Amino acid sequence: MEPTIIIIFILIYLLTILLSATEVVSMSIAALSGALLTAWFGLQYGVFNYEEAVGFIDVRLLGLIMGTMIVVEVAEKSGLFRFGALYAVKLSKGNPGRLFVSICIISAVVSMFLSDPTAMLLMAAATVTISKLLNYDPIPYFLSATIMINLGGTSTLIGSTSNMVIGVASEMTFTDFISYLLMCEVALWALTIFALYMLFKPRLGKKKALPEYNPWQSIENKKLFYQSIFTLVLLVFLFLILGNLGVGPEAVALGCAILALVLSNSDPAQIFKGLDWETLVFIAGFMFIVGGIQKTEILNVMSEQLFLLVGGSPLNTTLTTLWFSGLASAVVSNVAIALTFVPIIAKFSALNPTLRPPVSSALVLGTNLGGATTPLSGSVCMMAIGALKREGISMSFSEFTKIGLITSILQLGVSSLYLIWRFTLLGG
Amino acid sequence: MVKVKKWIKSRIKKPEAEYDEAKREFEMAMGKPFISIKVEIPKGFEDLRAQFLNLEKDKDFLMEVEDLVKKWLVYEKRGVKRIS
Repeated sequence: MEPTIIIIFILIYLLTILLSATEVVSMSIAALSGALLTAWFGLQYGVFNYEEAVGFIDVRLLGLIMGTMIVVEVAEKSGLFRFGALYAVKLSKGNPGRLFVSICIISAVVSMFLSDPTAMLLMAAATVTISKLLNYDPIPYFLSATIMINLGGTSTLIGSTSNMVIGVASEMTFTDFISYLLMCEVALWALTIFALYMLFKPRLGKKKALPEYNPWQSIENKKLFYQSIFTLVLLVFLFLILGNLGVGPEAVALGCAILALVLSNSDPAQIFKGLDWETLVFIAGFMFIVGGIQKTEILNVMSEQLFLLVGGSPLNTTLTTLWFSGLASAVVSNVAIALTFVPIIAKFSALNPTLRPPVSSALVLGTNLGGATTPLSGSVCMMAIGALKREGISMSFSEFTKIGLITSILQLGVSSLYLIWRFTLLGG
Repeated sequence: MVKVKKWIKSRIKKPEAEYDEAKREFEMAMGKPFISIKVEIPKGFEDLRAQFLNLEKDKDFLMEVEDLVKKWLVYEKRGVKRIS
């Protein structure tokens, strides 16, 4: 293939990354424009034909993301996650240390199901309200919630959009995620909470009496509340037994979404309005761009060179993937990094089939952990700072970056040790 | 440097309605429940716009509204039928 054509495709890719990272235009518009240019140049220069182009977009992945989003949106409307946050705060009994740990844990748990921006809105509202009521400095609680939201859901297929991208492409099942990553996530939660606690200990405030409240009073429709729990449990259960069902995860997610819509009896238009269309459109557009680049064979060549550069060693390949994707996710959308790395991992696996589990796990960890390094690392961080500003509280760029950098490096370091232990010492 | 700072500021997302709604839910659950009522200026009083807007901060007026709320809640408690 002519080098000019390859350069054009790389430029389209880089321009899309740059536009979406700087948000000069919205990320969906950036991806759609990139996809349009890819289609035009690809068809014009005969890089791919129309039938091949249609196959660039993985409908199964979009089905999985959309199905999960619908189930979670119905659960959110029922007040399930708000109830969890209220209950966690109540359990602290006004002890600032316990309150801090409760907020950290519930932030991570909530983000296992909700999209990160939605989880951020919920936890921002919870931390601001409780800090005001108890006259605490909100920044330690708020910043820790942001970091834990970014961390939560690393070990589940539906824990983040990048996980779904990697899971579907690498054929990692729900149980694979748990088997490869659960222990690491537990360790990361514990160490991150401990590090944040030590960093913020002097600023947490003194013990105060919590206002009397009953979390159950926040639930307006108990039937919908229990139905939402049922649908979420069913979704997880079906993912666990997926191997016996003979269908893909997208079928389970869409099936549960239909069940949630039917059972909840809520207005589907309202539910659909709450879905994260921006991310869905971005993924579709970016998948097309990556599909186009794949046809130029440049990703294959790059993968082979990278493989040779790290000496073909499984350990080096795994750690390079972890750190590269982690650091790149601190600057660029982690979904874009996941979509770009998926074909590279496929090539690695073709060169050495035993590489798939460790390298896929490294990519999952890397794309999840880099997202809260600086205020510019992702939409969650920008939203967190925006919410604080709205409350008249200012947090400097350096204050956020100092904490974000410490926790990100700690998390990537612990993940490196875990991957060495899990896949080298313990074996795949 | 100034341009970089300006760009960073422009990227900060200020959550509007959704955040306010989520915060209201938490305030209602953890703090004292409250209601917000939209009251339009009555017909024929348009020339008293400034005085009308000041009622929002008028302590005596707010106490009278509170008394009215108490009265209605007592009716609710006793099951008294109100004549509208």
